[in-house]
Amino acid sequence: MNNVASNILRIIIVLLLQVFICNLIHLFGFITPAIYILGLLLLPLELPKSVQYLIGFCCGLFVDMFTHTLGFNTAACTIIMFIRPYIVKALNGRKTSDSVERPIPGVKDFKWLISYVGVLTLVHQSLIVMLETMKFHNFLYTFIAIIGNTVLTTFLILCTEYIFYPVQGKNK
Amino acid sequence: MNNLIEFFKKNFHYFLFAILLILSIIMMGKSMSYSKYKFARICQNTVGPIQKSWSEMIHRFSLGQENDLLTQQNVALMREHKNMFIYKNDTVISMMSKTDSLHPRSMRLYDYTYAHVIYKTTDQAFNYLIIDKGSEDGISRDMAVTCPRGVVGVISDVSDHFSSIIPILHPDSRISAIVAPINQVGTVVWEGPNPQVAYLENIPQHLEINIGDSVLTSGFSNIFPKGLLIGTVKEVSVGQNASFLTIKVKLATNFNKLNTVYLIENLHKAEIDSLKANFKNE
Repeated sequence: MNNVASNILRIIIVLLLQVFICNLIHLFGFITPAIYILGLLLLPLELPKSVQYLIGFCCGLFVDMFTHTLGFNTAACTIIMFIRPYIVKALNGRKTSDSVERPIPGVKDFKWLISYVGVLTLVHQSLIVMLETMKFHNFLYTFIAIIGNTVLTTFLILCTEYIFYPVQGKNK
Repeated sequence: MNNLIEFFKKNFHYFLFAILLILSIIMMGKSMSYSKYKFARICQNTVGPIQKSWSEMIHRFSLGQENDLLTQQNVALMREHKNMFIYKNDTVISMMSKTDSLHPRSMRLYDYTYAHVIYKTTDQAFNYLIIDKGSEDGISRDMAVTCPRGVVGVISDVSDHFSSIIPILHPDSRISAIVAPINQVGTVVWEGPNPQVAYLENIPQHLEINIGDSVLTSGFSNIFPKGLLIGTVKEVSVGQNASFLTIKVKLATNFNKLNTVYLIENLHKAEIDSLKANFKNE
């Protein structure tokens, strides 16, 4: 818990990045990356679950306030914080690992990371896009928007992670 | 009882999750009827000012594009100004071939377009400007050049994609002008090194010229339309040449800040010049 400040700072930075820059991106008219879930994905796993949910809720609410979509990001973030431990458990498989681990490059390999980020982003984006377009019943649009958002967000998050947590040379 | 509390403590995070999820779903449901939702309005009040100042900052990046649109709109509006046309309200026979749909009894004499200055000098004895349009864009010699503030000069040479302009700030530049209230015709010339001051010549001494009078184009040269602002009278004195006044004119155009210019073409210049050719004085 010695890195509380760095976690808070990281969350604030990605939230500001999201509302002031990423929300203005509309690639091909509908792809808007949700980079702010990076802050949630990098939260320590040993944090009490209720605290994790509260952080997810607050982050989602903050983004929702800026996009006037009250509730959508909030629900999606709370849900991904809820399913996060199960995803980690499933990805670790039968390998018995100690509970203290961080989902960052260097600790985990690329395959593990892309699955982790990809699955959680997919859930997050599916929830948001499906909730938002519920009334339109345009399946193709919904599908393309989910896939596009997920791919772009995953790509951006992985890039950011590899920039800020460079893999040590000794591993190679 | 103890067991119940224990159970509650152990599974507290599940309850919290359920509460948070229900909260967000309630918010979602209410934000469908957005205007009635008090919480949404509170959010709007807190976030609105931040978003406004941010969007104003972002807006600056698209100012260039917006400026181009405004220039195009300006050109469209200026094409309809009344000094662009010759009015023929009392002709018996309609002789004009080119009629304008907006003014059926008028003939278009001038046409507008615009360009951007890519190079200019203002501090030399022979100044010139280069613009980014040439003969392929329909630019030809002797077209008039103005800017939103006032008159700039005349096109002197044209290549395929670029043109050069002789501005007022050139010793060879002579622009036929009138002084506004008395409509006396003179010529604006530039001599000095100061890019803001020119001289108005050929104004007889007996006329009363006030400081601050507007100097406008006369429209007699067939290059400039009538009534474009050249500058204002800054100083009046009796020159060495006793019959004329020496009038200093403060130019309306700020040549140092010149960027977008308008080009005016006289559509019937050749026709008028052919008539003038019969009266060659020299």
